Amino acid sequence: MTDIQLFSHDDDEVVRGLRSLYAAPAGDAYWNELEARIMSRVADVELGWWTELDRWVRPALAAAAVLLLAAGVAMFRAHQVEADIAAETMLSSPPVPVSTAIRPALQDEREARIRFLFGR
Amino acid sequence: MTAATTIELPYGMSSLADGRSDERALVIAAQRGNADAFATLVRSHQRRAYAVCRAIVLTHEDAEDAVQEGFLHAFKALDRFLPDQPFGAWLYRIMANASLDLVRRRKVRDADELPDTVPMPFRDPGESDELRRRLSQALTRLTDRQRSVIVLHDVEGFTHGEIGAMLGIPEGTARSDLHHARAALRRMLKDVRSDL
Repeated sequence: MTDIQLFSHDDDEVVRGLRSLYAAPAGDAYWNELEARIMSRVADVELGWWTELDRWVRPALAAAAVLLLAAGVAMFRAHQVEADIAAETMLSSPPVPVSTAIRPALQDEREARIRFLFGR
Repeated sequence: MTAATTIELPYGMSSLADGRSDERALVIAAQRGNADAFATLVRSHQRRAYAVCRAIVLTHEDAEDAVQEGFLHAFKALDRFLPDQPFGAWLYRIMANASLDLVRRRKVRDADELPDTVPMPFRDPGESDELRRRLSQALTRLTDRQRSVIVLHDVEGFTHGEIGAMLGIPEGTARSDLHHARAALRRMLKDVRSDL
């Protein structure tokens, strides 16, 4: 309760002492200068190359994504066209001629002679 | 965020910062890169921001550094701030964090470089009366957090909840710190007060 009494009044000596010790600088000149210093540091941040880089990161990522998508679509289409051409070529090509083997008559006679000789 | 934007705000629009909706408009303009809008926010809040920092750090110079760091952090984090939230509470929390960082850095530096020296925290060459001198000494004997809490509450008028949010401690802890700080000051200043 005592401490409440000690600190509850605005005119209490201790509170006045604290306010005096922690008093902010008076005068607009000081605050104008502080504001200028703060804004100068903020301007340095604005002009930093990393900030510029940061600004371009998102557009660059979006552009890269669009390019990748376009490249993917182009590759897919190229593959599709290639497959279509292959199928078309296969369907439209003429039938391969079937070669037939004919036993020469000479070989038949010879075989018959051999069979005749050994069959005896 | 760049200064090269097309949003026009009249120079010297500090009166606009009086209202919450005006401040919201300033925040939105600043988020869109309007440097004048951010400067107006700085102008509106720098005194209170200084007070928050001054309550946490030990010297006026450190408070100045912390205010600048705090505004720089706020500027960089502005994109993440929701304009419907109270800007002041957000900003003072950043200020408190910048100040606490500075205090931590100072402690590390002092531990490394000046192990045997006791810092004189309060730069006040003009102080003459006994109470102020003793008060300065007594404040150095409080913990950092107790000193911050008592200054934020009794000098700057922040509530326990606001102090808790700024310092990252529960409201009850802020209340308890305030009680202990007051008790300690009362004990240390008892004799000097009786002489007054």
